[in-house]
Amino acid sequence: MRAPSIGLLGRILAVLLIVAATEFAANTFLFERANQFALRDDEAYRVAEHLVIARRVLDRAAPQAREAAAKEFTTASFTISWPAGHRASAGRVELRKLREQVIQFEPELLQSKLSVHLQPLSEGAAIAGTMELSDRSLVHFHMRQSSNVWGLTFGSLLVLIAPTFALVVVGIVMIRAAFRPLSMLMKATSHVGTDGHEHVPEQGPSEVRHLIHAFNEMHARIQRLISSRTQSLVAVCHDLRTPLSRLRLRLDNAGLPEDASRAMQEDIEELSVLLQSLQDYMSGQSAGEEPQQLDLAAMASTIIDNARDLGRNASFYGPEHLVMTARPSALRRALNNLVDNALHYGGNVRLVLKSTESEAVIRIEDDGLGIPDDMLGEVMQPFVRIDGARARNTHGMGLGLTIANDAVQLEGGSLSLSNQAGGGLCAIICLPLRKE
Amino acid sequence: MTAPTIILVEDDPPLRRLTARALQEQGYAVRTAATAPEMWIALQTPADLIVLDIMLPGTNGIDLCRQIRRENDIPIIFISARGSEEDRVLGLELGADDFLPKPFGTRELIARVRAVLRRRSGNGFETEKGRNEARFDGWSLSYARRELRSPEGALVDLTGAEFDLLSTFIGQSQRVIGRERLIELSRMRLADSSDRSIDVLVSRLRRKLSATDKPPPIVTVRGIGYMFKADVTHA
Repeated sequence: MRAPSIGLLGRILAVLLIVAATEFAANTFLFERANQFALRDDEAYRVAEHLVIARRVLDRAAPQAREAAAKEFTTASFTISWPAGHRASAGRVELRKLREQVIQFEPELLQSKLSVHLQPLSEGAAIAGTMELSDRSLVHFHMRQSSNVWGLTFGSLLVLIAPTFALVVVGIVMIRAAFRPLSMLMKATSHVGTDGHEHVPEQGPSEVRHLIHAFNEMHARIQRLISSRTQSLVAVCHDLRTPLSRLRLRLDNAGLPEDASRAMQEDIEELSVLLQSLQDYMSGQSAGEEPQQLDLAAMASTIIDNARDLGRNASFYGPEHLVMTARPSALRRALNNLVDNALHYGGNVRLVLKSTESEAVIRIEDDGLGIPDDMLGEVMQPFVRIDGARARNTHGMGLGLTIANDAVQLEGGSLSLSNQAGGGLCAIICLPLRKE
Repeated sequence: MTAPTIILVEDDPPLRRLTARALQEQGYAVRTAATAPEMWIALQTPADLIVLDIMLPGTNGIDLCRQIRRENDIPIIFISARGSEEDRVLGLELGADDFLPKPFGTRELIARVRAVLRRRSGNGFETEKGRNEARFDGWSLSYARRELRSPEGALVDLTGAEFDLLSTFIGQSQRVIGRERLIELSRMRLADSSDRSIDVLVSRLRRKLSATDKPPPIVTVRGIGYMFKADVTHA
């Protein structure tokens, strides 16, 4: 199923290993190049001659005169100094082939324990070396411009840069690989509780895999919890309707006085409206409906016309047709709820439909008192009613706006409420127009 | 004339007893059943109507309706505790004649039973009965879903009064329908039913049917009423 993972620690070790290997390879490359490095024959011959003469002269000179003598040998491109000022740095790069070349021309230099190396970059990356005089003091020399020493210089640059470069590249690749599943997890986390349940694939280092696995299990648990709550609420709503039916029928047979009977019928009616709004709320959450083409203008004007047919003060302003893709029952329910609210709290409703290239905007206004500004944000929460405990003259459970908001968001739109300057509430729905 | 016989299928005993009593008081003969097998036994002797609860132990009412329809054309009224649009549409599409959500009162129940029995005995106006869908000029009207679709396939909502008006027009296409008759038919739907309101209703329907390049198929016959002049095919 899934490939075994080496874990975060393993990854870090792997990065270090790769860096070390790169450095080793670069060093090997440089040493190999240095070993094979040679000057042109005439150049090498000149160097050999220069060195052997300098050694002979310095050997014979008295120690006090040597420093001055060494200066005499120094030319524009060749420097000789005595005593050797500093020990050659550790880890210097020996130029073995060049040494052999020189000794071949002047075998006498063999006695001088000649050593030739490449100077570090900080000292100019020239060819340098030492040789011993017969009294074991060291003579230092170095050549400034040598025709093809730059190849070697590049090599030593490589030794410096390659491991860093490798570290950066390998680090970026591995860190990205390790964090990609994490960012997927982050995205999934922001979707928890919505319908788009995504199972995050278990990838990446084993620690991240365990995290994703735990997250997936948690998500599934939450979903199960929500759905079992919803199921039981649906079952309760459903089962309550049977005794309510019995009550209705018994009431018809009870032979109560007219006004008592009517009051009880209204109670039963209110109860069944409550149940209906709960059922609507939960069916909106389960979102079983498929989007399809519909005429939004016809839908909105139908809702307004239905209210007018019942003798209410309702008016529609908008085009005759506006075809879009949406879930018709949910959207109709949303518009109905907002229109019902306007009629109930404001006593009238104006529905204005406008559209642009990319979205349809529906304004639903009334001339009522509006909603206190500090309540505007809250009323879309389920079970929140603005009249609260003050007067139970509202129908429903305070789910109407929640249902409307859920439905609009399911279409990728937005619902906002505001109080109009002249009084009255204004609900604005923006719906994206999906082009087929 | 003997009293119509109604088979009542309901699993809750008190509700079954109460519903049966309400029907009997109106002069109907009632046979009750609590489960699907009991219903099949009750159906062995002829009956005029089945009142069927959707949620039953064992077989559910939807499946039962489908099974009944396979061998019998008896009218069916669904009773559902879910009251959802989907249930109503599903029931009607399966061939149920009407749909009654719980909780219902005696008056509502009796009104539905009467309407279904009258419709079935051929006295009603509903000429569309027994058909699922009508088509005209590329438009289609589904009776069970009470849905109108434009030639492009977009759902076009209708009010109850508009739907009834369109059904009446479609049932009597190519014939002039008097304004008086339309007022009578819409009295149930409109708060105020008059010449003026019928004209408003017709203009609303015309506007909704205006999506295509063709002119809407409803023409005014001066002094008399209206005529639906499109060719209608039923499916």
